[in-house]
Amino acid sequence: MSRAAVLEGGARWRAAASRAPGVAYLLAALLVFFALFGPRFASAPNLLNIGIQSSILLLLALPMTLIIMAEGLDLSMGAVLGLAGIVLASALVAGYGLPAALGAALAVGLVFGVANGLLVTRVGLPPFAATLGTLGAAQGGALVATGGQSVVGIGPSLPALYASSWLGIPFSIWVAVAAYGAFHVLLYHTRFGACVFAIGGNRDALALAGVRVHAYHAAIYALGGLMAGFAALLLTGRMNAGHPTAAIGMEFDAIAAVIVGGTRFERGYGGLPGTVLGVLAVGVLKNGLNVLAVPSSLQVASIGLLLIAALLVDSIRGRS
Amino acid sequence: MERAPIQEPPARAVPRVEMRGISKRFPGVRALDDVSLTVHAGEVHMLVGQNGAGKSTLIKVLCGAVHPDSGEFRIDGRPVRIESAADARRLGVAVIFQEFSLVPHLDIAQNIFLGREPGSRFPGVVDRRRMHAQARALLDALGMDLDTRLPAAELGVAQQQMVEIAKALSQNARILVMDEPTAALSDHEIDRLFARIRKLKQDGIAVIYISHRLREVFTIGDRVTVLRDGRHAATLESARTDMAGLVRLMVGREVRTHRRRFGESAGDIVLEVRDLEAENGVHGIGLHVRAGEIVGVAGLVGSGRTELARAIFGADRVLGGEVRLGGQRLPGGPAEAVARGMGLVPEDRKESGLALTRSVGDNLLVAALPRIFPNRWYRFGTAARIVADLIARLQVATPSPGRLAKFLSGGNQQKVVVGKWLGAGVHFYVFDEPTRGIDVAAKAEMFGLMETLVGDGAAVLMISSELPEVVALCDRAYVMRDRTIVGELDRRDLTEENILKLAMHHE
Repeated sequence: MSRAAVLEGGARWRAAASRAPGVAYLLAALLVFFALFGPRFASAPNLLNIGIQSSILLLLALPMTLIIMAEGLDLSMGAVLGLAGIVLASALVAGYGLPAALGAALAVGLVFGVANGLLVTRVGLPPFAATLGTLGAAQGGALVATGGQSVVGIGPSLPALYASSWLGIPFSIWVAVAAYGAFHVLLYHTRFGACVFAIGGNRDALALAGVRVHAYHAAIYALGGLMAGFAALLLTGRMNAGHPTAAIGMEFDAIAAVIVGGTRFERGYGGLPGTVLGVLAVGVLKNGLNVLAVPSSLQVASIGLLLIAALLVDSIRGRS
Repeated sequence: MERAPIQEPPARAVPRVEMRGISKRFPGVRALDDVSLTVHAGEVHMLVGQNGAGKSTLIKVLCGAVHPDSGEFRIDGRPVRIESAADARRLGVAVIFQEFSLVPHLDIAQNIFLGREPGSRFPGVVDRRRMHAQARALLDALGMDLDTRLPAAELGVAQQQMVEIAKALSQNARILVMDEPTAALSDHEIDRLFARIRKLKQDGIAVIYISHRLREVFTIGDRVTVLRDGRHAATLESARTDMAGLVRLMVGREVRTHRRRFGESAGDIVLEVRDLEAENGVHGIGLHVRAGEIVGVAGLVGSGRTELARAIFGADRVLGGEVRLGGQRLPGGPAEAVARGMGLVPEDRKESGLALTRSVGDNLLVAALPRIFPNRWYRFGTAARIVADLIARLQVATPSPGRLAKFLSGGNQQKVVVGKWLGAGVHFYVFDEPTRGIDVAAKAEMFGLMETLVGDGAAVLMISSELPEVVALCDRAYVMRDRTIVGELDRRDLTEENILKLAMHHE
């Protein structure tokens, strides 16, 4: 087998297609289905809308991909996002500038992320238990701080930023694109990225290579917290307020999107392009069902069915 | 004690590696006892010995994974301390273990440079172009024509092996340890590997090569060290020894057992296996066991002994052939096997043999429930009586039947696993490594128990890597190699030497 022949030209594309997660086909099927049966679905404003709706989810799903590749889980992301949103909104209400308010939200996220990382790596808790604990702490914190009420009156700066657009593309989509670019470089072009693959794929090999595995492992969770804090910018901007329960359960959409996108809990298998497709599939499904006026209770079930369908497609293709 | 013979090669410089008087004791076993090893630059030093002779422990000591109780190291004549894997690496020691240390979804270049990626102008960002160029150069030097962008998960075993070697060389290894590098390679691949090793020799690298294929001692080795029972048996020049001489050095361990009287009461055939082939890789298996017999299955690690046990028991999917128990064909599946009177005493009793967090009593009854309570109602009185009876019969040392299984000693745990089948009315037992991890006294009890079982008319298939135990205990033995049976030895021919001759590759 000549090395030139392995991955060049058409063969390379074919290899990519055979490795493309099942979600690529599901997403295509969903788009065709809703375009045929959903009036107004295929309109430009609606497609932009899907992008806007998906951008927050992508900010969570990107770090969640890394966490799951490292054979972990972060259940606290939605709750941390909610708490960071409260902090961001409160800071704006108190008259701080947007940069300071965002800094405070990032700090909240980072604290929870670092806590998750330490609980998992130093204390040795299973990620499920550790992040379930911090989920409770963050959610409780948000409710206590607000008494369950929304934080309103955040002033014009954030809503103005959120409503802005460049080249006809709204702000939140640019943020999502930038975040993807940063994560792409991080996972595929840095030592940190190689460590993510290795922590899931062969932790012993990494340790034998003399790498401080715990530090990198904890950093993955810290990154998750940081991104949850950052996502508060979009969430608060979209809602024009801080809402203690607004992001509850969003971690499950993120996990579903990551799994739908082909990342697996074993052996460090996965990748970011698949996660983008997974996020879009979730976004298209929710939006399409809305357009078709399907009751929201049924929409919840649909995400679960999407997850199962994606896994099924992958498992059938894996067998053949 | 007579000193073991050591043949030094004529007039050479300071040895690259010297390990002197290395001893290591694990609970219950003396893994290494005053072992010394000297390897020169440009030498391929073979390390051979039976399972458990101490080869792996010696290697783990050298790479810092195990700390010896005593002994000293010199590298290039200078005394050194190896406390950790990092120390070993700094000193130029690289080990290629049998279980590969590649990350499946990183590419070849990323695997070679894992943790040592060439940096770029930006901190933390890898210079991928430089990394792939360097990986390319390493592969070229090894004569490997592989795309450095291929993920490790898509490589064959031989290719993975070569990537491991490239990885070791990229660390500027001066001492390269290979643990059975040819175990999974084809003849063609082996030739290429050996060509590489000869090249490494020319470059002055010291190679320590562990092998179960004695032929390799003569094709690639300069000198050979034989370990036996944790001790240094001999170091010889390959050219001045032969296969028979090596085998003689490898055998001869004492096993303490009351010798049983053989060939008394072999009765009807209880188990018969014909042309068995299973998904786990065993193939062409034909064997039988008679009532009153202990039949051994011997072979080296990886020869497929455990897989054979699982296939017979129906725990792994059978592809062809048949297993007959008491003349009736088994349809497959452990439930059916147990119902017909077959019991497996597995190798890893803590994983597959016991429910560690349940009581001794629960464990003893678990397989017997359908038999003792045919109408499906659990009666505590009956259960307690049967448990008490089993504990007495097996002499399980436990303060009460309610004691959790995990608190028993290894030997007593093993008795509970056997007792589980005793209550279920089993008359054919498969013992997989019955003496692993139990002390000497418990071993003797275990042997006694097996003899009692066959004395009562049961049949036993005993899978063991402990050749002396097979020789001491079995009426007959089958020898496995490469996942099939390569020979049968009856009582007269059943010696360690004969088993080793069959089990090792030396055609």
